[in-house]
Amino acid sequence: MKRRPKMSQKAAILPVILFLSATGPAYAASPKGDKAFGEYLAGECMTCHQKSGKVVGGVPAIVGWPEDQFIAVMDAYRQKDRENEVMRTIAGRFKDDELAALAAYFGSLKPQK
Amino acid sequence: MTTSRRELLVGAGAATGLIYAPAVLANAKPNVVVIGGGAGGATAARYIAKDSEGKLAVTLIEENANYQTCFHSNLFLGGVRDYASIQHGYAGIAKGGVNVIRARATMIERDKKMVLLSNGKRIPYDRLIISPGIDLKYDSVPGWSKAAEEIMPHAWKPGAQTRLLRRKLDAVPNGGTIVMVAPPNPYRCPPGPDERISMMAHALKKAGKTKSKIVVIDPKENFSKQGLFQEGWERHYKGMVEWLGPKVHDGLKSVDPKTGTVVTGFETYKNCALVNVIPAQMAGAIARDSGLANASGFCAINPETMQSSVDPNIFVLGDSSIAGDMPKSAFSANSQAKVAAMHVRAALTGSRAFPARYANTCWSLIDTDDAVKVGGAYEAKDGKITASSTFVSKTGEDAALRKATQAENMGWYAGISTDIFG
Repeated sequence: MKRRPKMSQKAAILPVILFLSATGPAYAASPKGDKAFGEYLAGECMTCHQKSGKVVGGVPAIVGWPEDQFIAVMDAYRQKDRENEVMRTIAGRFKDDELAALAAYFGSLKPQK
Repeated sequence: MTTSRRELLVGAGAATGLIYAPAVLANAKPNVVVIGGGAGGATAARYIAKDSEGKLAVTLIEENANYQTCFHSNLFLGGVRDYASIQHGYAGIAKGGVNVIRARATMIERDKKMVLLSNGKRIPYDRLIISPGIDLKYDSVPGWSKAAEEIMPHAWKPGAQTRLLRRKLDAVPNGGTIVMVAPPNPYRCPPGPDERISMMAHALKKAGKTKSKIVVIDPKENFSKQGLFQEGWERHYKGMVEWLGPKVHDGLKSVDPKTGTVVTGFETYKNCALVNVIPAQMAGAIARDSGLANASGFCAINPETMQSSVDPNIFVLGDSSIAGDMPKSAFSANSQAKVAAMHVRAALTGSRAFPARYANTCWSLIDTDDAVKVGGAYEAKDGKITASSTFVSKTGEDAALRKATQAENMGWYAGISTDIFG
């Protein structure tokens, strides 16, 4: 996925490291997670969770969280500490770098009012 | 494209009176054409336009002005949702940079990489995605026909049929018999018939028509979430639902729309107040007519990419595809669309591609605040889409969990609708 950095959002939230990926063009990543990868993985989340941060029914907002907290919550599902079979199944197959990528991506989004 | 940038673009377009129309602006761009504006096709079109950031010309061909979701149409039947809440337009997709053409795709000329439309136009493609859903096998139920669907509705393709079934359900008298003819595998929405039974019973009970009965003639020995549904029917609709498997009914022999009769090897049901025939199914006509379906009536795909097994320039999504362990559901189609979108972009723009990962969850409402779910995670393995983990609700769950599951169901509907239609 080729992404141009989104400077306004990044400047507000995270220090940015730009680097050249193995596939060529520059894209942005947080120090911890590959945000472009996270955006691809996030497609799976968007079937239920809304990118705008809108909350409907029992599906919570997951945008704009601190990255460490996002990873901790997902890890709790992955370890089956938290209840909810859908989330246990989704989280269960994410590896550490994938959770970090998701955390970087969702952490970069702001809830829309 | 980020939301903020998209909004900026849309805002700028609105301010200057311009409409963002990439297909007109850029002849040199590779053409991606999508046939079918449902959960698979609309998702694919929207994601490709969003993520390719103007590098691809994306066209969506859809016959209808609005899309009525099959998912949650049972909740409309049960009076839990209104009809408007399950209808969606294509304005959000057009705003996202997709050229939406309202026409029926009648043929694919695969050798010329061209789609023929009902309005006579020909649309060239570099990559084609088709997600035409199902067609019904009208000859799979003796005595039933296309004409008979007005009397014995299927309501398995959404729209006028859904509303017809609701009207007929509302007209069932207290004490009237409803017969559902359930479909053989494979079919759209495995738990759909049994959620429908639940919602029909819910509507009858709410109207005080508890002497009415729903008889289900099922060609299958087992059905999705069987224990959960049967527990729920016993709890909420005692005496109102009679599910019969083939060992009991000994086969459906015929239906007679004129007299409202259903004949099985075991019993004949006369003067039925309502007969809901859900027939056998196959891939949508465009898939079959273009040589993409095999003898099963559905389309074999590459599980890594969702490409057709017979034409790598064409991707087949959703109910028309043979997706291994994944059920035919909107959630599945939406999930498959994202894999296909990634590979189409990678092929035409050189963007990164990652290993395919798929997911599905099907929620079913049994009664107010009593919902159950089944789902799984899937990956390409051993030449097919294979479940890597699955889950299903359990019998005997407490009321609080079932209520939370229904809240999740409603949240999912809002989420996936936004994901599909923008």
